[in-house]
Amino acid sequence: MRAGLGSVAVLALAACGSPSVSAAVQGPGPAAAPPSLTLYSSVTQETIDAVVGGYEKAHLGAKVTVFRAPTGQLNARLAADQRSGGLRADAIWGTDPLSMQSYSDQHLLAPWPLPELTSVPEQYRTADFWGTRLLYLVIVARRDLKPQPTSWTDLTSPAYRGQVAVPDPAFAGSALAALGYFWQTPGMGVDFYAALRANGAKQVASIPDVVTEVSQGSYQLGITLDSGVRTAMKKGSPVVMVWPKPGAIVLYSPIAMTARSAHSAAVKEFMTYVLSTQGQKLIADTGWQPIISGVPGPPQPARATSVAPEWTSLFGQQKALLARYRSIFVQ
Amino acid sequence: MRRAGSEPAPARTGPLRVVAIVVVVALFAVLIATPLVSLAHGAMDQGWSAMAQLLGGADVRTALWHTVLLAVIVTAVSVTMGTALALAFDRAMLPATARWRLALLVPLLVPQFAVTLSWTQAYGSGGLCDHLLGVTLPGLYGPFGIGLLLTVDSVPLTWLIVTAAMAVRREPDLARAARASGADPWTTVWTIDLPLLRGVLTAAAAVVFVNSVNSFAVPQVLGSAQGYQTLATLVYQQLTLSVGPEAFAQLSTTALLMVALVLVALGGAGRGLGGDQARYGTSGTPPALARDPCSRVVALSVAAYVVLVSGLPLVALVLTSLTRAAGLAPVPGNWSPAHYQAALNASAGVALTRSLVLAVAAGLLVTAMASLVVGVGGEWSRRLGTAVTLGFAIPGSALAVGTLIGYGTWLGGSAMIILMAYLAKSWALGHRVMSAGVDRMAPELTRAGRASGGSPVAVLRTITAPLMSTTLATSAGIVMLFALHELTMSTILYGPDTATFAVVVLNQQQLGEIGGSAAMAIILTLPPLLLLATGALLLRRRDHRLHPARVPR
Repeated sequence: MRAGLGSVAVLALAACGSPSVSAAVQGPGPAAAPPSLTLYSSVTQETIDAVVGGYEKAHLGAKVTVFRAPTGQLNARLAADQRSGGLRADAIWGTDPLSMQSYSDQHLLAPWPLPELTSVPEQYRTADFWGTRLLYLVIVARRDLKPQPTSWTDLTSPAYRGQVAVPDPAFAGSALAALGYFWQTPGMGVDFYAALRANGAKQVASIPDVVTEVSQGSYQLGITLDSGVRTAMKKGSPVVMVWPKPGAIVLYSPIAMTARSAHSAAVKEFMTYVLSTQGQKLIADTGWQPIISGVPGPPQPARATSVAPEWTSLFGQQKALLARYRSIFVQ
Repeated sequence: MRRAGSEPAPARTGPLRVVAIVVVVALFAVLIATPLVSLAHGAMDQGWSAMAQLLGGADVRTALWHTVLLAVIVTAVSVTMGTALALAFDRAMLPATARWRLALLVPLLVPQFAVTLSWTQAYGSGGLCDHLLGVTLPGLYGPFGIGLLLTVDSVPLTWLIVTAAMAVRREPDLARAARASGADPWTTVWTIDLPLLRGVLTAAAAVVFVNSVNSFAVPQVLGSAQGYQTLATLVYQQLTLSVGPEAFAQLSTTALLMVALVLVALGGAGRGLGGDQARYGTSGTPPALARDPCSRVVALSVAAYVVLVSGLPLVALVLTSLTRAAGLAPVPGNWSPAHYQAALNASAGVALTRSLVLAVAAGLLVTAMASLVVGVGGEWSRRLGTAVTLGFAIPGSALAVGTLIGYGTWLGGSAMIILMAYLAKSWALGHRVMSAGVDRMAPELTRAGRASGGSPVAVLRTITAPLMSTTLATSAGIVMLFALHELTMSTILYGPDTATFAVVVLNQQQLGEIGGSAAMAIILTLPPLLLLATGALLLRRRDHRLHPARVPR
């Protein structure tokens, strides 16, 4: 009955002129059509607008249809697509390697199609996806906070009892990366989150939420991304960025072609643009560190250091990490 | 509610009626039945044992407990407060001016996510009260805050339902007799009014309960990050945590549990209504209470309620939308139009246009669909009316997931699938308005038109349509408002290039863009408020022209 009713509904609604229906029925356009593609992304709107705008300007007639949402919402879109006929995206541009690896584990990604590009450092590549930019997890603190923290472990200090905001790793890919780093680091592990919890730290939804909540005074400090803090400081919010010891946690924002893409030529064009000097400049202009050397990024403190999780050993551990975290941190 | 003294509309006959019935049944099958069947099918994807295991899991049990607890408390408090407000107006303890009514209706006209955002900006840490007085509302994030906001949302709903029922069901003679026999006002309310309203209160309680179970925006914003899940937010969480095939089976099962919970509640309400016979009393006004100090206390209390519930939060929302960065004092020196400029940029502007188009389409289509149901007449109309109510009762998350499973292959991510969900959910809203309008229309007029030789089309064009114009506009308006504010289903169904404005606001909020979210919420909130205020003003002017003696009101 379901299929029958569904068919009736589709015929009726297709008659109403739904473009999506037409596209689904007709399949990919003729070979001479402009290099169009559908991109699913959790990258910030400003960056997406800049890079997609630049690409379309550089490729006359090209059209990139974008679905942009936070990582959790992106997962929802992918799950919905999976349940209803298959992935509709040609490319996925994510925020963190762990989420992207989970897509790879579901066989949603094609092998990396541009091996000839050599500009991306080895540590930011896998067989299916490559990094496009670097994100640094730092501490955001109220400008008037005394004393200011200097290291990650300071977040568990009694001086900041009940004053620390932690982003939800189930919601934000970059928060998941932080969880992965702390999990792997000797002397920290999951005990670090238990200590945070014991010190009255609270979970907020997203990475930018941390900056907002600290700016508004709901918390005095929290874990967030460098770009958000710089933007808030520029706008006048009463916050400062602390580059903690032993270093900011660095993660890369990967891009990949999907296994079902019918527009591989367009995807390759787009990826090439993202990893070109011009694309990387646009990424830098929107507050992120480019992944290729030679393109200057936002300023960092003198002698800034960074640390990173060992990604390959974290791959496949996402569910276990989140379950362990939730058992400690969520009511 | 049928007009007192009028005959029930006779059932229409002929091929047109049969066609109308077939069309309504087909639409019901497409919009409501198929998603429900698909949902059940989706839940059983991983087998019965997986389904049972999920239902027995701690996440689902906890979310179910939270949902039921919140819904029961919110229902009890809202029905009590809404009924008290209705009685206060009825007994002239409050001035029945358009301004009072408009003020009380504000929470209904503002999207739930905007109400939530406005409260966090008014009473949360770093909010307006914190800035001005150093005062915050403890427990705003968590079960207390969720319950409070759901109550704020439900009180005007109960007030409207009870007020509408009292307009046709009250027994002023009984109340007068009781007062004449020496009963004090409270005894009259307790022994006369409340027993007469029993059925209406049960119906109001059912509506509020369903509304609370369905609510997504409030628990998502105030509870999710704190780990306080309801069934509606758990469905969303299950959708966002995994892209694997098991995710859909899990969330379908949870959504199906929501449907079961709502149907059980409605069944209970139905039994509660079973013995209640409608009483259509004589029209008239019950004995008004003298304007004593008690009345003034009531009026002051309600005024304070309006200020605290709607006034201050809306002011806080406007100030947040104007202040250029989070954490700055909301003073003119820190104001900037930047958030409004960003809110109307290319992609958000397109989303707003899309929302408006979807709202207009839903308003017009639902009104046409509701007209079909009431146009059928007779017993079939009643049965079909009951059937379409199911669409409203099914929680939005469940309906969206069912629609996605049923039609996603062909329509996934399109605006059309969002429109289908809107139609299914709001069909009952349009039907209730149309049904009430038809009941108030004197059937003698159409009979006279037909007896005078007018064709059915001519009667429809020259008699029915003009008489029903206000009802048609009301139906379309209510559905448009619903569609414009809808978030629960849109956030599950939207795809590339089909985000609605409400979804954009939620995404902005989740990205920490508090000023931008506030500006967008204001953009979405102001048009219905201005429309209602203009309507109230016009009505007041018309009343002034027709009844100059009532000017003081």
